Amino acid sequence: MLSRLPSGALKQASSAARLTRASAVSSSRSASVRFASSSSSTSSNAFESFMNSRLTLASATLFTAGTVAWYAHLYGTLPFLGEAHASHHSDEGLHPVAYPWSHNGFFDSFDHASIRRGYQVYREVCAACHSLDRIAWRNLVGVSHTADEARVMAEEVEYPDGPNDDGEMFQRPGKLADYMPAPYPNDEAARAGNAGALPPDLSLIVKARHGGADYIFSLLTGYIDPPAGVEIREGMNYNPFFPGGALSMARVLFDGLVEYDDGTPATTSQMAKDVVTFLNWAAEPEHDERKKTGIKAVILFSTLFVLSIYAKRFKWGPIKNRKIQYNPPADKSGH
Amino acid sequence: MASFQAVKKSFNLTPTVRALPSGVPAAPLLNLAARAPADPHAHDAPPSWAGGLSKTSSGLFSKTYTTGPAQRLFQQRLLHTSAVVKDAPEVPDFSGYRAKNTDNTRALSYVMVGTMGVLSASVAKSSVSEFLKTMAASADVLALAKVEVDISSIPEGKNVIIKWRGKPVFIRHRTQSEIDEARSANWKTFRDPQSDEERTKKPEWLVMLGVCTHLGCVPIGEAGDFGGWFCPCHGSHYDISGRARKGPAPLNLEVPVHDFNDAEGKLVIG
Amino acid sequence: MSLSTTIYNTFFKRNSIYVASVFTAAFAFGIGFDSGVTTFWDTWNKGKQWKDIRHKYVQDEE
Repeated sequence: MLSRLPSGALKQASSAARLTRASAVSSSRSASVRFASSSSSTSSNAFESFMNSRLTLASATLFTAGTVAWYAHLYGTLPFLGEAHASHHSDEGLHPVAYPWSHNGFFDSFDHASIRRGYQVYREVCAACHSLDRIAWRNLVGVSHTADEARVMAEEVEYPDGPNDDGEMFQRPGKLADYMPAPYPNDEAARAGNAGALPPDLSLIVKARHGGADYIFSLLTGYIDPPAGVEIREGMNYNPFFPGGALSMARVLFDGLVEYDDGTPATTSQMAKDVVTFLNWAAEPEHDERKKTGIKAVILFSTLFVLSIYAKRFKWGPIKNRKIQYNPPADKSGH
Repeated sequence: MASFQAVKKSFNLTPTVRALPSGVPAAPLLNLAARAPADPHAHDAPPSWAGGLSKTSSGLFSKTYTTGPAQRLFQQRLLHTSAVVKDAPEVPDFSGYRAKNTDNTRALSYVMVGTMGVLSASVAKSSVSEFLKTMAASADVLALAKVEVDISSIPEGKNVIIKWRGKPVFIRHRTQSEIDEARSANWKTFRDPQSDEERTKKPEWLVMLGVCTHLGCVPIGEAGDFGGWFCPCHGSHYDISGRARKGPAPLNLEVPVHDFNDAEGKLVIG
Repeated sequence: MSLSTTIYNTFFKRNSIYVASVFTAAFAFGIGFDSGVTTFWDTWNKGKQWKDIRHKYVQDEE
């Protein structure tokens, strides 16, 4: 800022200060003898008085205000540039509530009964449109189903295999190693069956959406009638949590849609919670093991950290507490 | 502080700063101009040139120099005039910090360092073993690597060929006479000596890879001089236990890892 | 002879014994620590894990 000022101003101010100072010194010499001076040069005196003067304060304030005004006149309001919104806030979707998932905490595993119910919801509701490409039948074993159950479920699905001895492809019942069947053979078929909208694969959907499990739950349970003034195209549905508000998927979960085999009442939110837990497991099958390993690692490494501080202090103790004493050579002259 | 004593003994420290002729250290950034109050008992009055008014082109100026009275003995200048002169060097007393029982301290320090070693070794061990686990086949490969065969439908004396990891696997339900033949053979004289007991888990079931050990052709079943397999490519003969008996084949037919699931009558290969 | 001296003479005096006991202890610690964390994990997540609900689905298979 100083460099922007005309150099003449500085010079004038300093010479003025010197003049006043010289007369003051000569008139009060006797008083200033003992405390001769606390500042050693005239130039720093000048700078000091320049910095402290009201004129400087006023002009700097004026300069700043003028700059701000000029800038605002040119580019828009402060403190930032004027914002130009190409989108409305509703285009980003409503923020989901943070729900207390049973697997939220540092030490919490998935609720596997919920995963099992969620698989049932997925199979009976979601699987009509959504694929789950990255999950094989064997992944369910030891997580939500027994090996025999999974094998039976896999055998209900026919998979192409081959070629056989005649070079023909053939259909065979599924095995544990097979992946979940997709509802559509390819993306184009999926689009054609859903009015041009592609139902996303759900294998990693919890990780792939901002907000994760909270978002999916909010979306599944958040369908409402469009508010006044919001136009929704034919075939689209309004959901405030969906970025943009309008999505092709309609509300699918209604109370009592699924009959759970463990007797849990199948309310909309219960089904949504279960299916989101299932999808969260599908996205993070390593979740339980990861948290368990995390507990171990945190305990081990924090203990090691404390111990290493002890070892450091132990090693440095003698070095830091060393006394150095100087013994002058013995006096031979006797002074 | 020890140098206080030393000064009297005409002990010289090497100067660390340049000194003016008056003995004052040259310190341009320090204000040495503070004049001491006039001391009537001082031996040396300040010299006349050490202060007063002078007239220069820019006006009247007052000059004030302070020179301390010339010292006959060299004395160190102290930053603090309030420093207390002490006879003994000022060293903190550490005795309060000393261990009362050195045996306890020694054992404790060894325990601490040892514990650190224990934890580090444990961490290192699990790191290494987890890393080695990543080199093992992944779960999807393992899932595909197993084949289940329903063997209850294979009649005695019949061969079944299935595909496993892209290779044919021969499964033969052997008759009692074939088992006797395979077991009675003098296998120690064979090219690749191996007993039939080593090659089969259950005597009536022979499971082996259908790849000729010579150049990888697929041998034909129930053929050859020994009633076992015969490789049409270069004429290797295998007996009813799959052992190389004649021809160029250097080794017996390989037996894959397999297991029987008796409850369901199934054979698991892999 | 105090306890600390006994411990020192038993484990720390010879480096070979010191190192050997460190490695043995590391092995034992690994097992104990794993089972300890697993116990904690199972207590904390009681009823949520697959092994807690498995019995509901395998009974009829046997």
